[in-house]
Amino acid sequence: MGLLKWGRTKSPWIIHFNTGGCNACDIEVVAALMPRYDIERFGIIIRGSPRHADVLVVTGPVTRQVKDRLVRIYEQVPEPKSVIAVGSCAISGAPFADCYNVYGGIDTVIPVDVYVPGCPPKPEAIINGIVKLIEKLKAG
Amino acid sequence: MSYPTIRIPFGPQHPFHIEPEYFMFEVDGERVVSVTPRIGYVHRGIEKAIEDRTFIQNLYLIERICGICSNAHTTCYTQAIEEILGVEIPPRARFIRTIIAELERIHNHYLWLGLAAHEIGFETLFMYTWRDREIVMDLLEMVSGNRVHYAMNTIGGVRRDITPEIVEKIRKGLDALEERMRYYKKIAMTEPTISKRTAGIGILKPKDAIALCAVGPTLRASGIKRDVRADDPYIAYDEIPFNVITYDGCDVISRLFVRCDEVFESVNIIRYAMDRLPEGKIRIKVPRRVPEGEAVSRVEAPRGELIHYAKTNGTTKPERYKVRSPTLGNIPSLCKMLVGGYIADIPIIIAGIDPCFSCTDRMAFVNVNNNKQWILSGEELRRYAIKWYQKE
Amino acid sequence: MTEETTEENEIVRKMKHLIGKNVLESEVPRPRRIFILVNEKAFGKAIRYLTKKMGFTHVSTITGVDVGKEIEVIYHLNRGGKIELSLKVRVTKDKPVLPTITDLIPGATLYEREVHDLLGVSFEGHPDLSPVILPEGWPPDVYPLRKEWTLKKVQKRIMKGGKQ
Repeated sequence: MGLLKWGRTKSPWIIHFNTGGCNACDIEVVAALMPRYDIERFGIIIRGSPRHADVLVVTGPVTRQVKDRLVRIYEQVPEPKSVIAVGSCAISGAPFADCYNVYGGIDTVIPVDVYVPGCPPKPEAIINGIVKLIEKLKAG
Repeated sequence: MSYPTIRIPFGPQHPFHIEPEYFMFEVDGERVVSVTPRIGYVHRGIEKAIEDRTFIQNLYLIERICGICSNAHTTCYTQAIEEILGVEIPPRARFIRTIIAELERIHNHYLWLGLAAHEIGFETLFMYTWRDREIVMDLLEMVSGNRVHYAMNTIGGVRRDITPEIVEKIRKGLDALEERMRYYKKIAMTEPTISKRTAGIGILKPKDAIALCAVGPTLRASGIKRDVRADDPYIAYDEIPFNVITYDGCDVISRLFVRCDEVFESVNIIRYAMDRLPEGKIRIKVPRRVPEGEAVSRVEAPRGELIHYAKTNGTTKPERYKVRSPTLGNIPSLCKMLVGGYIADIPIIIAGIDPCFSCTDRMAFVNVNNNKQWILSGEELRRYAIKWYQKE
Repeated sequence: MTEETTEENEIVRKMKHLIGKNVLESEVPRPRRIFILVNEKAFGKAIRYLTKKMGFTHVSTITGVDVGKEIEVIYHLNRGGKIELSLKVRVTKDKPVLPTITDLIPGATLYEREVHDLLGVSFEGHPDLSPVILPEGWPPDVYPLRKEWTLKKVQKRIMKGGKQ
């Protein structure tokens, strides 16, 4: 394992972005940071700027207004980057799939590496998603 | 002078189509001169989608308008539909709805306190409150089976019962929550970290609060005693005694105290409701077709007055459904509070009305003197604010 | 007339006294709820009376409803947090214009803009009716909450070029 890969798998820094979701997934992402779940023990930190991040965590269906911003934020994340779609809306658009202002899941706009289902997924599930991603990074 | 439109969402947190606000500020040095809000980043077209779904399907969609006050939205929706149907739900269902609504308020106010502490750089308090918030999340999960979207309400009653064992567990949880909130209130009253950043900041005078139609804790912190639970009682609030909390400081710290005290009130309401939980059924069967009619339904969500308007046409789908969530009602007042303040106070003033925003937002600043423009993310602004106050 | 709704009926009576036949429909379905439909001509007078004289200083929201050839705009006004009065007025789809109420209640700014966005009713005298909810690049003639714009039609129109 090279040094870079070692660094990335040991401490993935994440940026969280809501593309039009209902907030439920967002508070669960924040709850995962909190003392009970404490994802920092895995070396995971939430950053405020996409330029500092390795992993983009997206919640919510993609609305028309937010689509370009999502692409721009994705482009700002430095390579190599990964994307985690958290929640049913981010996967397929779920209850909002046929709304006029919604494109659907995140993967209609940007490539996704890990999907975390649930409405909203529990913090444990979100942590599990990140661990899955780390395994994926280790493997390839 | 024309300014470029704002490009990146500010505060994508509150879920209804109007909540993620984005603001453009004009500043003169450190002072904010004017504010232009642009909202709609999370506009999904829910109102149109509601017209396309049956009343039962809508229950799930309306729950997902907001992930934090999801129960307030479904309470409002079921109330409106029950009013048009002309059915009365069983007393036990009304009390269970009240208990869940108040648990939700406690969860929301704990969440808000943590976020406000985060905005002023008081990370310890942020972590503490969110740790204690897990107590109420566990209670909600135990009652409803889910941490966030409880799906407790249905047209004609509630979907799950509260058993005596659950009541005992809720009692234990409430004791802990009450004690912790007492401690946080003491901190807020004595700790200069909080008072220096929040006292006298974001002033909203009572006159402006009324003219700009503020709602909820924002309005009550300006000394105006207005609460839908007391003024226009719904579910079981007409049978439960409680106080409407007001403070007349008109600033952010008053909003903080209002929320602290509301938690105590909520705890008392839940205890009272659990002591007098009526026996009987928890729901009644209602017809799938709703007769022609209209209703205006109001609920005091944790953030303020929530109002739904429903119009039906005799089929299984609504003709028109309108939702107005509390944050939209508070945006005009928010703009008023921001003008004249310092840039460094923007994060806490915005947090003060409880729109809860996250970190990916951007704000554009236009300096009036040299017309220079720069863009800050919410996170950068927060850091800037903390540093600015440290310099003093 | 039950005792509970005396105050509400009194308000309806006063409105009828003020604008007479221009009150087209009125209803008090339950305590603290009033629905009044007024003629477009008398709308300005009615709303000024309600806000200035009757104490309905809080506008909860403004709803637009498509009722066929006309659009019904409903002003949900509130007095002291208690009585919720829904003042309705209808405008034709060909020329949907109403006077603004932001001079009477400054808090109505965003609600008027919202109705303008979604149903295309314009408010005369409003300081800024730029889009507030719909995304940039939205076709200006598509008002999603009008009935002629069904979900499929809106999608077909705005998704030209298909999903990305």
